[in-house]
Amino acid sequence: MPLLDIDIKSKSYNVEHKQLTVINKINFKIEKGEFICITGPSGCGKTTFLNIIAGLDTFYNGRVLYKDKPICGYDSNRLLIFQELGLFPWLTVQENIEFGLKLRKMPKNERKSLSLEYLNMVNLTKFKNSFMHELSGGMKQRVALARALVMNPEVLLMDEPFSSLDAQTRDILHIELQRIWSVTKKTIIFITHNVREAVCLGDRVLVFSALPASLKASFCIDLPRPRQIESDGVIDKVKLVMAELNSEIRKRYENEFNVKQTF
Amino acid sequence: MKMSLMLSKLFKQIVFYSLFLFLWEALALSGLWPQYILPAPSKVFFALIAGFANHTFLIGIGVSFKRLLIGFGIAIISGSALGVLLLKFKALDETLGSLVLGFQTLPSICWFPLALLWFGLSEWAIIFVIIVGSLSSITIATNSAFKNISPIYLNVGKNMGAHGVTLLRKIIIPAAIPSLLVGLRQSWSFAWRSLMAGELLFNCLGLGYLLNMGRELNDMSQVIAVIFIIMLISVFIDRMILGKVELAIRRRYGL
Repeated sequence: MPLLDIDIKSKSYNVEHKQLTVINKINFKIEKGEFICITGPSGCGKTTFLNIIAGLDTFYNGRVLYKDKPICGYDSNRLLIFQELGLFPWLTVQENIEFGLKLRKMPKNERKSLSLEYLNMVNLTKFKNSFMHELSGGMKQRVALARALVMNPEVLLMDEPFSSLDAQTRDILHIELQRIWSVTKKTIIFITHNVREAVCLGDRVLVFSALPASLKASFCIDLPRPRQIESDGVIDKVKLVMAELNSEIRKRYENEFNVKQTF
Repeated sequence: MKMSLMLSKLFKQIVFYSLFLFLWEALALSGLWPQYILPAPSKVFFALIAGFANHTFLIGIGVSFKRLLIGFGIAIISGSALGVLLLKFKALDETLGSLVLGFQTLPSICWFPLALLWFGLSEWAIIFVIIVGSLSSITIATNSAFKNISPIYLNVGKNMGAHGVTLLRKIIIPAAIPSLLVGLRQSWSFAWRSLMAGELLFNCLGLGYLLNMGRELNDMSQVIAVIFIIMLISVFIDRMILGKVELAIRRRYGL
């Protein structure tokens, strides 16, 4: 039994009294413990897809089964790390991480020791009493990651988490995320524009087509871990994925600007 | 560096106020105007001492603050409740909401004739004016504070399993606190002004009444002494208390 059995036939929004179809047939399965990276042209409905898996969006045609049961709303077993993170500015780093545990009514001392463990995992022990505006972009990402991981979710959904970071911080977080993934064995669905990032992190890289999104291609990445983003193996795979993606990017470009472009 | 900047500011202020007092004393002594028009600052100082010595000023402050606490307290509770109701029911927002906006623009002293007819020359006439003077400001502030909470916080909270009262207590209220404080500070000043205006109208012991009594007795030193007290209280509450709390919260939230 796969952990997630996804079969979305279509999903559309009403935009100015017109139906805008954002997803048209996405259909695949995810096994427990897999690291799935999804990439595609910008504005292709990747975030919508993630919202459906999280249970934030339940209006679509088709069905998504999580452990053989249809998804019908939020579930703290499938935690979404939003692109904007949504860290709480009124709480310290440690209080942010303990937030979900408090909701679960975990006793205080248990909560403290668990949050310290995860603070240590994301290397933020020194900053446990800081407030959000005192942290750098990369630190905020790690707080969000720890806040989600401490809840021990089965699935972690990450929506372009590293897109706003500088390249150096991103490289460090790639290594850290791989290390954390190998320790925690979480199932991760990771959305990114960055094909190199996708290949570096994923067991599988899925390419979504331009709007409306459909599953265009799927690549198994069987390189040894931990992977460096600039290693030869990664770069070879990136070329393969880019070949698929480029035609989609071109399509999107033509749609949006109404011109023919040769790349 | 910072210390020396502060010292230089303090020095300038000392020079300014000494000069100000000196000129004032000189003008008063020159005899160009009678005492009841321009009393010397030394006279004002003695009026202050005398007022506190015979307890009239303390009683005045106490009476005024009692009214303020009752009136502003009622306004805070009902105003924030109304703000939330307008948020919950769109039809109410479109109808009653526009009326609230109208009230907001009305100077509170306009309510006095109505208050006097309804409540007579009583404590409740003044309290009523404090309430209507600050209520709409609180309603609007509460309404917009909750309306403008970033939906991301709600989504994160719901995803982690918060709902209902927990969502309200742990996310909605803390997220709204900075804007709520701004609203509180603004409506406090509305309430305070309404109180002062209201107390001028009849014999009612408060600070405003002491001003009026000074006028009736041609005792300008008392008038100025009371103005000084009122100004001091305004500055103390607005800058020292509300302003400091607001600053601390804004720092913490990184705003």
